Amino acid sequence: MTPTAAELLQGIAMTVSTPCAPEEASLFAAGRLGIVALVSVLVMQEAERGTAVRLAENGSLRSLLASAEPHYRLLADGLSDPGDGDLTITALDAANAVLRRRLIALHVAVESANDAPRDIAILELYCHMAAARSLDLPTA
Amino acid sequence: MSLQIQLEAYLSRTTDGRVAVDALTRIPGGASRETYSFDAIAADGTRRGLILRRDPLGSLIDTDREVEFLAYRSFHGRVPVPAPVALEVSGAELERPFFLMERIDGGQVASPIARDPYGAAAPVLGHSFFTALGRVAVMDPDDLPIAAVLAQPTADAAWRVSVDQWASVFERDERHPQPIIRAAIRRLYANPPPPAERITVVHGDYRSGNFLHDGAGRLLALLDWEMAHLGDPLEDLAWACDPLWGHHDDTRVAGLLSLPDAVAAWSAASGLACDPAAFAWWRLFSAVKGQAIWTTSGRRFAEAGCVDLILGFSGSFTARAHDSVIAEALCQLVAGGWR
Repeated sequence: MTPTAAELLQGIAMTVSTPCAPEEASLFAAGRLGIVALVSVLVMQEAERGTAVRLAENGSLRSLLASAEPHYRLLADGLSDPGDGDLTITALDAANAVLRRRLIALHVAVESANDAPRDIAILELYCHMAAARSLDLPTA
Repeated sequence: MSLQIQLEAYLSRTTDGRVAVDALTRIPGGASRETYSFDAIAADGTRRGLILRRDPLGSLIDTDREVEFLAYRSFHGRVPVPAPVALEVSGAELERPFFLMERIDGGQVASPIARDPYGAAAPVLGHSFFTALGRVAVMDPDDLPIAAVLAQPTADAAWRVSVDQWASVFERDERHPQPIIRAAIRRLYANPPPPAERITVVHGDYRSGNFLHDGAGRLLALLDWEMAHLGDPLEDLAWACDPLWGHHDDTRVAGLLSLPDAVAAWSAASGLACDPAAFAWWRLFSAVKGQAIWTTSGRRFAEAGCVDLILGFSGSFTARAHDSVIAEALCQLVAGGWR
């Protein structure tokens, strides 16, 4: 899991509240401020769309698993999906972890079976998942 | 005791004369490395610009400094790298392993978020950058001091050694199920590249942002050799061409040259061919290696109380960027016939 917005905010707080040693007062301090600025931009994006991204990904995973899992006997079948009733990031990530484990097991089975259409469908889902979670940086 | 006093004590003891330290400044950059610039002033007033690279507190990897120091010893005078000065694996007066090297003044380093950081100097600088990498690949590792501390894989096993290493790092540090990198690792094992044409020193982090240039097209110094190892030279070429270091420019690699021009410069200097199938494999490997590093960054950031924000940044932005690179590469490679 990439660091959560809460962890990143904690990191910002730790960084700005930690005093610099004398030899860190110029270039290093400026660099620390730069990182604080960049991470603030990331947190802003997570705050804006983090919940929506997780809901959408969990929905896509459920849809793909529902269509493909019945064709395979999977060791991950026992992982039960807690659903998305709780909209906290923590709960959505917990559901996402279950769904991703099932997807990993499914993909291994699909590859072993040389099931090209489902393989491609999973790879395309990976592209959508990665694109939806990508973060943007300001450019200098 | 302050770092300045520690440095003065160390330098005075090892040079048999009173040495003063002036203009001690920590340089930003790197996720967990401490880098300092300072002037050492001898008793006769001679001033020498030096760089200190010191292991961070709690580091368990005390051989990194030796590898990096021996890399500078191996390549100084052959490609642009700073002159090594001293290595203290025990830490001596500085209490942690460190080494010293000559400072190269007047250089600049590209910011990873900069758009077109090299401007009009990009073609000339790019040719130097990829030519220097090719020259590294020419040298027989057995003739270099660094070979004494590095394991040498066989030509047909170099790829597997590299995947094994980074797959194990990823397995160790994964915090949340990552289906994309897992699929890539399976595909790397299932579609191995041809044997390495030659086993050479691999820099391990050869990219934009890890070299000094003068702003006018002159390459001043190749830096950050701490991940150096022996392996397939295509590993470095692929890493240098990874989109993450592309400065938002899809038409050039490393913000410097078109991909064909970069490969041509490297091939001309190394005398090696760049087999397209092997290069495609190493490019996917590069993204997997990057993702493994960012996975470690994210875990260490969280487990260490979120104190090192650079780890938080690389565990977030770069991790997600490499997921996209890997996912798109997998689609293309499978469409192109990968199992």
